[in-house]
Amino acid sequence: MNITWFLVLSAFLFVIGAAGVLTRRNPLVVLLCLELMLNAGNLALVAFSRMHGGQAGQVFALIVMVIAACEVVIGLGIIVAMYRNRLPIDIDEMSELRG
Amino acid sequence: MSGTSYGWLVLAFPLAGTLVIAFGWLRPGGLPGRLPGWIASGAILGAFLSSIGALIELQDQPEDARSLVDSAWTYASTGDFKVDLSILVDPLSVFMCLVVSGVSFLIHVYSVAYMDGDRGYHRYFAYLNFFVFSMLLLVLAANFVVLIVGWAFVGAASYLLISFWYRRETATRAGIKAFVINVIGDVGLVVAAFLLLDKTGALDYAGVFAQADQVFTHNDGTLVAACLLILVGAFAKSAQLPLHTWLPDAMEGPTPVSALIHAATMVTAGVYLIARTHPLFELAPAAADVGAIVGTATLVFGATVALAVTDLKRTIAYSTISQIGYMVLGVSVFAYGAGLFHLMTHAFFKALLFMGAGSVISAMGGIQDMDRMGGLRKAMPFTFAAFTAGALALAAFPFTSGFFSKDEILAFTVERGGWYLVLAIAGYAGALLTAFYAFRMVFRVFYGNPVAEARELEQGHLAHHAPANPATGEPEDTDVGFPAEEHHIAERERPMRAAMGPLAVLALLAGLVQVPGVSDVIEKFLEPSFADSHFHDTAPSDGSEWIGLVVGGLISLVGIGAAYHAYVRRRGVTLELRDRFPRVHAFLVNKWYFDELFEALFVRPVATAGGFGRAVIETRFVQGFIVGGATGVVRVGSSFARSIQTGYLRGYALLLLLGVALLALYFLLASS
Amino acid sequence: MTIHLSIVLFLPLATGLLGAFLPREMARWAVLAGSVAVLLYAVALLADFDAGGGLQYVTDDEWIPELGIRYQLGIDGLNLFMVALTAIAWVPCTLVAAFREHDRPKQFFFWLALGETAVLGAFLAQDLALFIVFFDLMLVPFYFMIGGWGTGDRVRATTKFVIYTLAGSLLMLAAAVALGVLSTPDGGEISFSLATLQQRSVSEGTQQWMVLLFALAFFVKAPLFPLHGWVPETYRSSPIVTIALLSGVLSKVGVYGFLRIVLPIMPEGAQHWQELFIILAVFSILYGSILAFSQDNMRLVLAYSSIAQLGFIVLGIFALEEKGAQGAVLQMLNHGIVVVPLFLIVGVIAARAKGSESLSELGGMAFRAPVLATLFLIVTFATLAMPGSANFVGELLVLFGTFEDKLVYGLVASVGVVLAAVYMIRLFGRAMHNRPGPAVESREIDGLHLAAVVPLVAVIVALGVYPHFVVHRTEKATTASIQEARGVGQQVVAR
Repeated sequence: MNITWFLVLSAFLFVIGAAGVLTRRNPLVVLLCLELMLNAGNLALVAFSRMHGGQAGQVFALIVMVIAACEVVIGLGIIVAMYRNRLPIDIDEMSELRG
Repeated sequence: MSGTSYGWLVLAFPLAGTLVIAFGWLRPGGLPGRLPGWIASGAILGAFLSSIGALIELQDQPEDARSLVDSAWTYASTGDFKVDLSILVDPLSVFMCLVVSGVSFLIHVYSVAYMDGDRGYHRYFAYLNFFVFSMLLLVLAANFVVLIVGWAFVGAASYLLISFWYRRETATRAGIKAFVINVIGDVGLVVAAFLLLDKTGALDYAGVFAQADQVFTHNDGTLVAACLLILVGAFAKSAQLPLHTWLPDAMEGPTPVSALIHAATMVTAGVYLIARTHPLFELAPAAADVGAIVGTATLVFGATVALAVTDLKRTIAYSTISQIGYMVLGVSVFAYGAGLFHLMTHAFFKALLFMGAGSVISAMGGIQDMDRMGGLRKAMPFTFAAFTAGALALAAFPFTSGFFSKDEILAFTVERGGWYLVLAIAGYAGALLTAFYAFRMVFRVFYGNPVAEARELEQGHLAHHAPANPATGEPEDTDVGFPAEEHHIAERERPMRAAMGPLAVLALLAGLVQVPGVSDVIEKFLEPSFADSHFHDTAPSDGSEWIGLVVGGLISLVGIGAAYHAYVRRRGVTLELRDRFPRVHAFLVNKWYFDELFEALFVRPVATAGGFGRAVIETRFVQGFIVGGATGVVRVGSSFARSIQTGYLRGYALLLLLGVALLALYFLLASS
Repeated sequence: MTIHLSIVLFLPLATGLLGAFLPREMARWAVLAGSVAVLLYAVALLADFDAGGGLQYVTDDEWIPELGIRYQLGIDGLNLFMVALTAIAWVPCTLVAAFREHDRPKQFFFWLALGETAVLGAFLAQDLALFIVFFDLMLVPFYFMIGGWGTGDRVRATTKFVIYTLAGSLLMLAAAVALGVLSTPDGGEISFSLATLQQRSVSEGTQQWMVLLFALAFFVKAPLFPLHGWVPETYRSSPIVTIALLSGVLSKVGVYGFLRIVLPIMPEGAQHWQELFIILAVFSILYGSILAFSQDNMRLVLAYSSIAQLGFIVLGIFALEEKGAQGAVLQMLNHGIVVVPLFLIVGVIAARAKGSESLSELGGMAFRAPVLATLFLIVTFATLAMPGSANFVGELLVLFGTFEDKLVYGLVASVGVVLAAVYMIRLFGRAMHNRPGPAVESREIDGLHLAAVVPLVAVIVALGVYPHFVVHRTEKATTASIQEARGVGQQVVAR
């Protein structure tokens, strides 16, 4: 099977994810979109790994999954903390790091 | 024991004395009573006896082997710079050791009583012993670096002792002035030492002098420069024009300090230095002539100012400046024996004069102004006798010590002939003024109607005034840092009499060791040190020396007679003179305006430069341009970076994405 | 006896870290013990050092082989006394810091200990990259100490200090990388090891601008006119212990860099700028002295006096003559040893004048504090290079070295000697003598500061009696360091 299809799919997923990160204001959705981007990357990694026959790509994909899991935990934690503190659940409202 | 072992002992005693007193003071309660004073005196006596030991050892040697060098350890050595911590024991250094430690011992004994009651008693004697150590190090040094160390140490000790009553602002200012001018002299010596090292490859006397003959031609430019720099050092220490301004101010120190440091020993170091480096000066007679001219100018300057000043101690101080002028003239016309002989006799009679002045000032309850003194003769017969003995020697009264030593210098100068005669005539004129001002002091202090303090003393009471600064009249207390209330006068204190008695005898009779045609003890003893002098044969004959002595004696009698006329027989003559020539009087009282000149030439420019540096260079250039430039770049850069930091997450993400896309694009284009 | 320099190097950091986990009472002892242990180690080094040998106690391991960076430590005559100075200076400062009340003591101890490790590292490093790592690491603890425990406008001061020194070291970093790359021969391995760099060569034109970049970093650190803009505010608002170390020890790292890196590796470049650097040095001497004379704040008097003193050191180095360089090395040690007690004494004085450090408000302190006055006096005399002190020997050698080829500059610099006497004796007199100022309480020096200052004064006296101890041990390395640059200069003259 041609690798192109996998890469096209991966690219589509990535762009959808990126568009979501850039446009959505709800942090939950931004987090979901981030996951989408990561998984797009995973798909490309696994596809390349399959094509080249090496194991490295799969190992990388596993590492990315682990990191994604960690990231979700922290991200959700932050969102919950914000909710508890009755802060607005809106990314554009949170720009305290402005220079 | 060898001569050099005695030399080390000479140094060890006063240093040990300093440490014992300093650490003894740390004991709770300190050392009891007058013990610090006696420890200090004992240490100096030890040094004196060791000097005698060295003298005996030296005399046992054959004449051409009377120059012993011994080094303790390598002080610093790198490349061609090799310096040992070494001492030189030869007739010249032993002579100086004897004079310094002998006079110091008597002044220590005097101080034991004089400083009694002062709250800085321990500190005083620790400093005083340290001073003697430094002075002995100076004269025993065998190379220029150790010489400079001793040179600077005496400067430091002098600073500490001038500022001894350190809560007096006048005293601390005088101390700083003395210290800074002395440092100028140190720098002169340092540069001179370099020039000598550069040309001769050595820093020890023996090496330098041995090479000098081969390396330098007659009046070689470098050598003249080196000698002039040595003279800068000598002039700064010996208070010669124009570096003399610190010495009158140094009278802020306790009177025995003035006697020891600022009359008898330290200020004569310049004379010693010229005598020590005589092989260089003989090769560079141009520099020696500068020394002779400055010495002469100084002796006239000092004598004229001493005519007008009314502060008793400052009058003696200007007299010291003037007398050292004679010594510098002496060693600069290569009359080494005569110059050093005068150094010795001057040490005796000047120390004696200061001791007498100290006694008088105590009796006056701290007043130093001669305008307020008078008629103390009956109240203090002992002091009067001693002071008069000192004044006679200073005035070169026939057959006193100053008579023989001063006139020997002038006889040598006459013998050189040519334009040196001008110097000799100026010297004789100075002698006339000297005789006049010496007895101006005697007649104004001891003759005339007794003042209140004198009458009180005749009744057996010591006058007391509320403690105050004699210079400004500021009220003071008597705690540490100010003089104690009860000062002691020679009439009552045995140690003070014990110190003044021998000095009075020496002032009157010490001249007999060297009478032309009769005895020449000093000349003979010092001969090995000056054996290489080219001017050995230019000594005047006994006959011409006696002619000089007769002239000098007559001048002295005329001067004393004039003083008697002006201050005893017809009081008020001087006042008339003052009113008739107010400009001259102001010129003299203001010490020829040297202080004002230096203030305008050096002090103010430096202060102005400091102000300019602070106000303009620091703020405009350093902070404005350099710092402003560096921080300006950072500020512009950071404000740009800040403008990107919008705080919107999507903005960051977009930038990230764009960056990745651009990077990918680059690689795509690059690979195709 | 084997001596492992890595132990010396990381011992302070280890005790600092340990202290961070101990209770407050024990932390101070741990940190103090660390600095004392380093001092003992330094004493052992001094005793064991072979004056005739080259680089000794070498540690040489791979660190980042891809970039040719090695973990290389070693001691020779150049840094022997710098290590000793660091050890000697840190003990009293740690002592004073440990028993003085302040906030967050454990953090302060940690930064202090890290500072010692960083400075030791900069002195010990024999690899250019390692040197730069430690050189910049020094900034970190001092940034936190000044920013966290300073007084007055400390934020502004730290900002200026950090930006300024960082800008300097960035330029140096660029030059160092360029040096490593450009000196690599075709097909050779890149290396930052100083010994290797010394054998390789870079074209003269390249050397010139590289020396300039290095010099910028070192002059800022030193500091030298006109790059001393950070000095006044930093000196004014730092904690006293910090500023003592900054002025006494850190300032030496810069000038040490000239002897260790610039002169041996880039001799032609150094020779090219000799005249400029000498002029800067002489101007610093005069400018620093005159400004020190007109300052009212005691710390600023010492700040500008440091500029003048560092001017002497740079003058000695760039005289490119054995005596001058020897004098400079001796003076680096001396200046550190006098400045640390001076600052501690300033702290003592300020504590007795209701915190005032202004000379116009002081005076009469000697009245009831003779021991304090005596200690201050000895240190003052040593600072103004009174003959008899080791400082005098240092200045004498510097001047002699300068006179040799550059007589005029030397003569101008000697004016600085006189000015030094003026401003130091003014400092002493204004603080100790005259009538007491309005807020002054004359009280004897306390036991803590006595214990900190007396050993330093003892070292000053001992060095004054026997300066050859230092001169003898530094001679070989110092001569080797300037040899090439001097050789270049003589070729130029011959041409």
